Amino acid sequence: MDSVSRFFAAWRVARRIIALTFRARLEYRAEFLMNVGIGIVWQVSIIVFATVLLGRFPGMGGWPSDAVLLIAAMRMLSHGLFVLFFGRVYFLSLFVQEGFVDGFLLRPMPVHRQVQLAYFPTNAIGDLLVGVSMFTGAVWSIDLDWTLPRIGYVIAGLLGGMLMEAAIFTSLSSLHLRFPAAQAWSIWTEELLATFGNYPLKILPGVISGAFTFLLPLAFIAYFPAAVLTGHTSGLGVPAAVAAAAPLIALAAYVGSRYLWKWSLRHYTGVNG
Amino acid sequence: MTATAAPTTFPRAWRTARVTPLAELLAPGRIAATAVRLGLQVFLVTCLWRALYAGTHSSAGLVKEQAVSYAVLAALATRIRGLDRGAGRDTVIQHIQYGTIVYWFLRPVPPQRYYLYRALGDQAYGFAWAAVAYALCRLTGVLQAPASAGAGAAFAVSLLLGQIVLYYLTLLIDLLCFWTIQNNSALLILQFAQNLLSGAYAPLWFFPGWFVAMSAVLPFQSTLNVPLSLYIGRIPLSDLPAQLAVQAVWVLLLALLTRLLWRRAAARVVSQGG
Repeated sequence: MDSVSRFFAAWRVARRIIALTFRARLEYRAEFLMNVGIGIVWQVSIIVFATVLLGRFPGMGGWPSDAVLLIAAMRMLSHGLFVLFFGRVYFLSLFVQEGFVDGFLLRPMPVHRQVQLAYFPTNAIGDLLVGVSMFTGAVWSIDLDWTLPRIGYVIAGLLGGMLMEAAIFTSLSSLHLRFPAAQAWSIWTEELLATFGNYPLKILPGVISGAFTFLLPLAFIAYFPAAVLTGHTSGLGVPAAVAAAAPLIALAAYVGSRYLWKWSLRHYTGVNG
Repeated sequence: MTATAAPTTFPRAWRTARVTPLAELLAPGRIAATAVRLGLQVFLVTCLWRALYAGTHSSAGLVKEQAVSYAVLAALATRIRGLDRGAGRDTVIQHIQYGTIVYWFLRPVPPQRYYLYRALGDQAYGFAWAAVAYALCRLTGVLQAPASAGAGAAFAVSLLLGQIVLYYLTLLIDLLCFWTIQNNSALLILQFAQNLLSGAYAPLWFFPGWFVAMSAVLPFQSTLNVPLSLYIGRIPLSDLPAQLAVQAVWVLLLALLTRLLWRRAAARVVSQGG
């Protein structure tokens, strides 16, 4: 079998597993609906927080409200995409503790793919519902000329945001493979993204915005792409070209995180030693 | 051969309550990580609110120092319930799914009391962290002193009542999984609702009127917004009796409801297939 056939065969298997896990989720109807509700509540709570701050403290860092809203909308939509395609790494420590990873290692499918296919992320439905609505509203309200290159860049920015979030949580989940208690770091990081990922980072002191650019690169998720789109490229802490390359940098970061994950898997120690 | 006396209530409570804190203390890495996270969280929250107030003196009746104090205290208060009991396989949902919940009903300690002791231990451990962090924040000037001595005392009483309300809310959701089998989503929704409606994300004073009105009829604001607003002086001491009465009513209502649910839950537990 050539590599193209193998690729399509692998996707057919993945599609069947996704369909099965979706049906499995439907077994508990109330839980299914509440899971969709989680996505909605999580995103709405961030919207409420963002709009409250925007209403009370307009003109953050010289950014008009509609531009700040675009940051929040891009981050939330890319977060929804992350939850849908990559979100299972967030809970890897549970798979390690339950011994599932030991089972994954014995099956003829890459472990990372098995982790991603372990269950259907119902909450992503809620995340995406709110994310798409907010993104549509933000794009509608902002006074920008939506030329083809700009539309292309906003799509690249959303995909880049998804990949950067995936890179962050894939790197953290590499730790879960050795230390399941590292889940606490993932939870905390998600809180940081929710709190600081939706505004112009230039309002924060340089040391913090620098940390959110080079240490925990949340600036690349939505802040830099939105800055490029709206022309607010001064005071970003990096050259405008670097901000514009955010989607590419996110792709590189994700590839790097996958290598780290692979390396960590080779050093995996099950909970039973 | 001498029979070993069964432990009396206090040692039993003590041994149960210290399970999670002991597990934490035996893992220096986790303690260091908690300290780093808490320190960074306080630093970041302080920076965010100071930056927001850079262009204004007062907003929603709060000056910068009040807003920073509120936000930092909220960050510390959420630390009180920050322990990860799931890692120790001792959450209600895990026991229900593994079938081990039956042991809670076979032990000499009644399940509701066991649950209470574990929660007390967890909250006391979290409180120790919050208290140390509070002292450090006061020493470094990050946190302002309570608006008055009376406000400080009112804050302490109200915080205690708020923690009891929070305990019952968590218990309520845990008890629901005796009926729903799955409650992870309900727990997460509760956590988001709690954070949003209690003022953990931002002081409730910044929210629109309809949001504040909605919060007023829900128990969540009793857990955080009331004690913190008393501390910073946003709720005057003259309102204290009414606020404490509301908190006490929530405690009473939730205590009665959860007591009833414990009784019903016991009737649903089966051993070895019934």
